[in-house]
Amino acid sequence: MTTLIAFDTSAAACAAAVLSGDRILARAEEPMATGQAERLFPLLEELLAEAGLGWRDLDALACGIGPGNFTGTRLSVSAARGLALSLGRPAIGVSRLEALAEGLPRPLAVIEDARRGAVYLQLFGPDGPPELVQPGALPDLRTIARTGSAASLVPGGPVLTPAMPLAEAIARIAARRTGTPQPRPAPLYLRAADAAPPSDPPPVLLP
Amino acid sequence: MPEPVIMLGLESSCDDTAAALVRHVPGEPAEILASVVAGQTDLHAPFGGVVPELAARAHAEKLDLCVEEALATAGLTLSQVDAVAVTAGPGLIGGVLSGVMCAKGLAAGAGLPLVGVNHLAGHALTPRLTDALAFPYLMLLVSGGHCQFLLVRGPEDFTRLGGTIDDAPGEAFDKAAKLLGLPQPGGPSVEAEAAAGDPRRIPLPRPLLDRPGCDMSFSGLKTALLRARDLAMAGKGGLTRADRADLCAAFQSAVADVLAEKSCRAIGEYMALMPPEPAFAVAGGVAANATIRAALEGVAGAASLRFLAPPLRLCTDNAAMIAWAGIERFRLGHRDDMTLGARPRWPLDKASPAMLGSGKKGAKA
Repeated sequence: MTTLIAFDTSAAACAAAVLSGDRILARAEEPMATGQAERLFPLLEELLAEAGLGWRDLDALACGIGPGNFTGTRLSVSAARGLALSLGRPAIGVSRLEALAEGLPRPLAVIEDARRGAVYLQLFGPDGPPELVQPGALPDLRTIARTGSAASLVPGGPVLTPAMPLAEAIARIAARRTGTPQPRPAPLYLRAADAAPPSDPPPVLLP
Repeated sequence: MPEPVIMLGLESSCDDTAAALVRHVPGEPAEILASVVAGQTDLHAPFGGVVPELAARAHAEKLDLCVEEALATAGLTLSQVDAVAVTAGPGLIGGVLSGVMCAKGLAAGAGLPLVGVNHLAGHALTPRLTDALAFPYLMLLVSGGHCQFLLVRGPEDFTRLGGTIDDAPGEAFDKAAKLLGLPQPGGPSVEAEAAAGDPRRIPLPRPLLDRPGCDMSFSGLKTALLRARDLAMAGKGGLTRADRADLCAAFQSAVADVLAEKSCRAIGEYMALMPPEPAFAVAGGVAANATIRAALEGVAGAASLRFLAPPLRLCTDNAAMIAWAGIERFRLGHRDDMTLGARPRWPLDKASPAMLGSGKKGAKA
């Protein structure tokens, strides 16, 4: 029976859940625009205490890897990597799009607001890759059920609400992966960093 | 009787990801058991400066690897470590946050105390790591992001005598390299080119030398260099190698002159304290420049002060200095809890008025 703690800070909240076997022992989701860095570890320790567990009782760590807020996603990824190293337990990264699809019928389109007029899209059943998509380039979703923060903004089939809180979904997906080796969690950015080469050309060099 | 301490340090405030282990036995010199630095120079080179988001992305996926490498090098496990120290500011917030969260994960999982460290204190206390220098000493911290004179009276007692009111010298070297078509980082490339140049042929200003005090400015020097470059190129259709070498030498000499003259003034203020073992120490990447280092050494020698410049690997960003500053704070009883945050701005001297970025977010340094 696997016992793990899952957490996510990739959006405007601090979310976490403790899963043991099939049972959620503790769970919380606190909305906040800022302050996740200060709140995450106290929240995790509160949930562990509620579940009657200590850090050493965990078999694995799980964290959300986005897509979402870049800095927020890195908070959880860095925390999970630090915990994995100190506890000698695996850390498992789970994408936000997969977590939103957990427990919902297929076929399903998960559509999340990516800001700047774009959405993050992933199709499940059959599963496609996660993508950053401009609304004009969306595939035909008319017969496919939708979920996610931007689901109602694009045409498609019925809009479903997530089957469970985000951290619980991350925990359940991670628990299924504990038997196989997993890469270290890394943020799923889907969007390149804003970085432009310098605009002033260097001088022409003469001998 | 204070106990021996083994401290793990993490640093990720700019473009170097670093982890180190330092052991200190009271009464003995500190020992660096491991110091791992993963630089990002190649990552930022195409952009002519550090791109904060690129830096943060690299830190998040390298920190734990650096810690593992440091532990392996030292032949230690976390159970043999006494505490975890981490840079909690000032710096690029994305990287600092990754460091703080990784450190919390390490401390929570291993049941170790956590100590948040000011990155500038790491630089300023380095002479105590390398040479067990006694307080009070005078420190010139001169790097890509900072330039200030500090009276260092204790591990948490810093008085700023003056500093740059605009760019840091390291930043000015980078911009100079960009203007002259030299590779980044600018410090080493401008210094290498200056070796073949005449520092006196092309006149450049020495900003703020006509004003009293220890404040400095390097932004105008960069503009003056641009004008001198354009003048040198006028009618030729480009920049000759000889002109470029002379421009580099002139620029380096102007920075060295300003730092040397302001050091004289800072030494005057410091000596008024009548320190029992007067010493002038430098830290930061710009202290690696041989011309600047020689000028500062000359000033210290003329005033009969001991001069200390840590080896380059401890002058530039590293985690050994963070582990050491952590040891000093730890011995004073300082501990942080799991609410430790990251501070993009965090002046060492809490009493003096802010010099830079004194907006609503407070002073940068």
